[in-house]
Amino acid sequence: MSPEAPATLAAWLRTRSDEHLAALLAARPDVARPAPSDVVALASRLAVPVSVDRALDELDAATLQVLDVVLLAPTDGLPPDELVAALPGVPDDVLTAAVDRLTTRALLWGDEVLHAPEPVRRAVRHPAGLGRRAADLRVPLPADLPVAVAELAPEERTVLEKLAGDRPVGHLPDSPNGASTPARRLLQRGLLARIDALNVELPREIGLLLRGTAPYGPPRRRPEPAVVTKDPATLDRRAAGAALESVGRVGELLVLLEEEPAGLLRSGGVGVRDQKRLAKALHVAEPEVAWLLELAFTAGLLDVGGPHRDEWLPTRAYDVWREQDLADRWAVLAAGWLEAVRLPSLVGVRDLAGKSTNPLSPELVRHTAPAIRRSALAVLAEQPAGSGLAPEDLTALLRWRTPRRADRLAPVPDMLTEAARLGVLVSGVLSTAGRGLLAAGEDGAADGMRGLLPEPVDHVLAQPDLSLVAPGPLVAELADTLAVVADVESSGGATVFRVSEGSVRRTLDAGWSATELHDFFARASRTPVPQALDYLIADVARQHGRLRVGAIESYVRSDDHGLLSQVQNDRRTASAELRRLAPGVLVSGLGADEVLTVLREAGYAPAGENPGGAVLTRPPARPRAAGRRTGSESHPPPRPLGPEEVAATVREIRAGDAALAARRGEAVRQVPGVTTASTLELLSRAVREGVPVWLGYVDAQGSGSQRVVQPVSLAGGFLSGYDERRGENRTFAVHRITSVALVETDDAG
Amino acid sequence: MSDGPLIVQSDKTLLLEVDNPLARECRAAIAPFAELERSPEHVHTYRVTPLALWNARAAGHDAEQVVDALVRFSRYPVPHALLVDIADTMDRYGRLTLANNPVHGLVLTTTDKAVLAEVVRSKKVAPMLGARIDEDTVVVHPSERGRLKQALLKVGWPAEDLAGYVDGQAHPIELDQSSWHLRDYQQEAVEGFWAGGSGVVVLPCGAGKTLVGAAAMAEAKATTLILVTNTVSGRQWKRELIARTSLTEEEIGEYSGERKEIRPVTIATYQVITTRRKGEYRHLDLFDAQDWGLIVYDEVHLLPAPIFRLTADLQSRRRLGLTATLVREDGREDDVFSLIGPKRYDAPWKDIESQGYIAPAECVEVRVALDDEERMTYAVAEPEERYRIAATAHSKLAVIRRVLERHPDEQKLVIGAYLDQLEELGTALDAPVIQGSTTNREREKLFDAFRAGEVKTLVVSKVANFSIDLPEAAVAVQVSGTFGSRQEEAQRLGRVLRPKADGRQAHFYTVVSRDTLDSEYAAHRQRFLAEQGYAYTIVDAADLAGPGEVNGPDWVDEPAD
Repeated sequence: MSPEAPATLAAWLRTRSDEHLAALLAARPDVARPAPSDVVALASRLAVPVSVDRALDELDAATLQVLDVVLLAPTDGLPPDELVAALPGVPDDVLTAAVDRLTTRALLWGDEVLHAPEPVRRAVRHPAGLGRRAADLRVPLPADLPVAVAELAPEERTVLEKLAGDRPVGHLPDSPNGASTPARRLLQRGLLARIDALNVELPREIGLLLRGTAPYGPPRRRPEPAVVTKDPATLDRRAAGAALESVGRVGELLVLLEEEPAGLLRSGGVGVRDQKRLAKALHVAEPEVAWLLELAFTAGLLDVGGPHRDEWLPTRAYDVWREQDLADRWAVLAAGWLEAVRLPSLVGVRDLAGKSTNPLSPELVRHTAPAIRRSALAVLAEQPAGSGLAPEDLTALLRWRTPRRADRLAPVPDMLTEAARLGVLVSGVLSTAGRGLLAAGEDGAADGMRGLLPEPVDHVLAQPDLSLVAPGPLVAELADTLAVVADVESSGGATVFRVSEGSVRRTLDAGWSATELHDFFARASRTPVPQALDYLIADVARQHGRLRVGAIESYVRSDDHGLLSQVQNDRRTASAELRRLAPGVLVSGLGADEVLTVLREAGYAPAGENPGGAVLTRPPARPRAAGRRTGSESHPPPRPLGPEEVAATVREIRAGDAALAARRGEAVRQVPGVTTASTLELLSRAVREGVPVWLGYVDAQGSGSQRVVQPVSLAGGFLSGYDERRGENRTFAVHRITSVALVETDDAG
Repeated sequence: MSDGPLIVQSDKTLLLEVDNPLARECRAAIAPFAELERSPEHVHTYRVTPLALWNARAAGHDAEQVVDALVRFSRYPVPHALLVDIADTMDRYGRLTLANNPVHGLVLTTTDKAVLAEVVRSKKVAPMLGARIDEDTVVVHPSERGRLKQALLKVGWPAEDLAGYVDGQAHPIELDQSSWHLRDYQQEAVEGFWAGGSGVVVLPCGAGKTLVGAAAMAEAKATTLILVTNTVSGRQWKRELIARTSLTEEEIGEYSGERKEIRPVTIATYQVITTRRKGEYRHLDLFDAQDWGLIVYDEVHLLPAPIFRLTADLQSRRRLGLTATLVREDGREDDVFSLIGPKRYDAPWKDIESQGYIAPAECVEVRVALDDEERMTYAVAEPEERYRIAATAHSKLAVIRRVLERHPDEQKLVIGAYLDQLEELGTALDAPVIQGSTTNREREKLFDAFRAGEVKTLVVSKVANFSIDLPEAAVAVQVSGTFGSRQEEAQRLGRVLRPKADGRQAHFYTVVSRDTLDSEYAAHRQRFLAEQGYAYTIVDAADLAGPGEVNGPDWVDEPAD
């Protein structure tokens, strides 16, 4: 170690250039906020275990292998050329890049010799898959280890070799009444260490011995998977097919839920019965319904609502959504899915108690989901347009990139399937719209899909068999009307409706007249309206409304028709709002009690009757859930650290550091408000000599700060100068200065 | 986006826009793997079913061709999942093969052990299989060939049947085409059938299905068993065969209630075969009486259930099913396909009409208002009586007469389902009545008189629904029917579709009582024909114009002189 080499991480950090520090802050943004006051603070932030873990989690397998070599070095500190020798299979450029990546993140430090900070050592539990040293495990190793190992029985050796692989910790097999298993014999010989009741660990020395010439395992190079290529035009067409299907299906689903909402289970989510009902109505399998429900929910089109907040209903956002054009509608779904903190693929998975998870259940929430989804798709986005990877290759690559997070990759295959269902992905290749989605969110997605999806049509073809074919997606207004006047028979790119007696009756019930219906068909149909359709409408209309049903609150009846006429025409009973329904019967919209009171007050002698007949009213408007703002469930990603902010932070650290160094100079403390002579003397000396001063300062809000100022002038109780930390000229009230010290420039590094 | 004529729906229906310039080409491309479901005026509906896909595989089409046809003609992007599903479905065909093993006889072999393991374990399939020969092969009881194929189809692993057909007893049969020629579509139908070995040919009534049968016989040149619905139709077959082929009267036998002849070509009725005495079918021997080389099922949509079971035993013989409407009200279309064979030929009615091989027909629904007394009777009637009361209302009589008067010079049929109504009509219209109890001899006599034009109007019960060849009938008036049976409607229309000598139009009237079950059923019945492209015109009885009046049957827009 050369004598001038920095001895600590902090000292080394101080030697780094501003660019280096900026790179460090950019790579480990969690230490940059709030800005550390100086290098020492920065170094202690870098030592926080959570921060170290996060930094290590983001490293790829090759970089981690280099780190392992340093961690396993017998001495603290390893010269870079020894690294090269330790990993013979790794090309130099990979090695250099890895060392650079590690030192940039301060996971290793030192220029001549690479040191690993202690927190990093602690964070890497099993470097290169090796156990702790025998001494740390408190295992007395046999004196001649190679001989002891060579003498082992084959089955015992197998156990050791297994533990010398990726994981040095193993589960001790159950052995009734302490029978002698190979593992137990190894324990007795001191070749394994027991770390708790169930697990044993292989000491590092034995692991290294068994690994022989390749103690760090084979070089972990970046996998180079075969690239799948697709013709971009075909690709986008297929994506559009999937998109059309998704948008159509979600639309149908929401229409069904609008007519009959699904019940909210006590445990959250949608019950099996509703799921079955929807599956039947949509002619799809139940898992498909679960996916569509989740898709609608994450897009904010479906939520809990209703008078008792116990129903799943389309949200207000749905009303906006259905008016949008297809590409935008698709983008809403795709963006909702991308940012969703839910894993729809977990629907139907049984928990430990054997209970299967329902769609829309809160149990599907996984907060890591959006990050995983994005990272998986980001790998594909790195490929040139039209190229992609097979799912298993993609998973292998992700595993290499973030080996410490490999356990989080389990949902990736399902996520890729979902992406393919949406049209984000087509056989492992991102579609143009998928790329747009990743790069520019909803707008990018919509732009990528625009032009690929059919334009909405505003007409249907009416046929003599009473079917109506809409040869494309319908404009919302026409779709609404058709939903009332006809039943959907088949949907997809086009929609086939059938007009039946039932549907015509339903339309008349909804307040249409036969003439309006005739006009509607004449207007909406591009083909002549078949005569059979006209007759159907006329037939049903003729029958419709011959019986009238209404709701009243009360009635007044009497066999004496004259009396009833008198009551009806009596001015005093006007407030009873009586109307003659038939000879002998008056009705009122008011309750029986009120009518009775009015009649009695008018001097009649009415008697109450038992009420008969139920009152049925339709709900006045379509029910809607209040809805939530899309993605509110997901935590917004941390604000990215911009270059300007990084630069400012570096400046602050430098200033703090300078201040720290300056503390070694003579400091004058004072009670605020009392300006001592020594303070003024120091300040004027600094102005005179042009020496920066270190100020303790309390601002107008009463918060204290320390800063280094290059003083310019001192007059009228104010010191003006250049504040190095803020990088601006400022004026300081002398009475707010709590302490002053000269910064000794010759000591600053 | 292209301007393709096809729209592929999520539920695997295909919508074909008929007016598109590419429509014809597209139809040819999708016909092998999609069933024509409806062919109304503007947009035809096809459906891609697993069965259709497997049939396409059997006919040598692969998934790539299917996917390509869909993608090429589709106007909108085709959902990827649907294409994958199609490929998967087609891939299921041919994993299992039925073949003749020189040592073990009929065996089921596989290229995929897991599939064989799955079907062998299936409760439905297991009883039909014998010993396991090796991992890939299992013996099949020869008698179970048909049932096994049916069961395998149901479990989703259709077997490719390579066991072949027996040739049967050879018998020379030639078509005698001196005075006529097989039409193109008939030729295509025969070729389609022969290439596939067995199957069903669907042609509209009057399009010459008998000739397809005759041509198939001439192709087989072997003894043939023809199964028909009734004796009269059997005799018609016999007449046609004598006229159109080299067969002579002596070579054709009739196996019916009246006669039990077994000849090289034998025509038997469904009824006689399914007659049971003491719980046993007494005429099953017929199937073994000859080494039949071909079995023809006429009107296969009526095939009774016992014959289904028998047919399962006949899988090694060539089978030809003929029908106009493969709409079975019992929903057993699939059984027809799996036992007789897949659909080998199908053509939209309107296509054949446009080629001039069946007469263009005008379908009119005449609505009759019931009088007050009838309405009251109807209103208070028991639910099961209501249709009969509405269908047989007296008010119809005057309207029927008026309809017949519109066509004074045509040969007319009045078709109904209720005997007392028919008797009443016969008396009122002074026309002879043919119904179930009319003897065959009497029927023949009346049909002959009708063909000769001596009788202008016949009143017939549903015995006339099928297979009576009355080429001269140009007007049919339907007064009552079997509830909402769609195929009955189609068959009745078929009675008047024989092309007329002068190419004139046929007329098909349905007289219904307004605002009753009768009109409700009529709407249901019309659906099949509407789906075939026949547009019904609805007129109120009061508006029915007579001959010479505005909008009458002989009315033309421009004055003739």
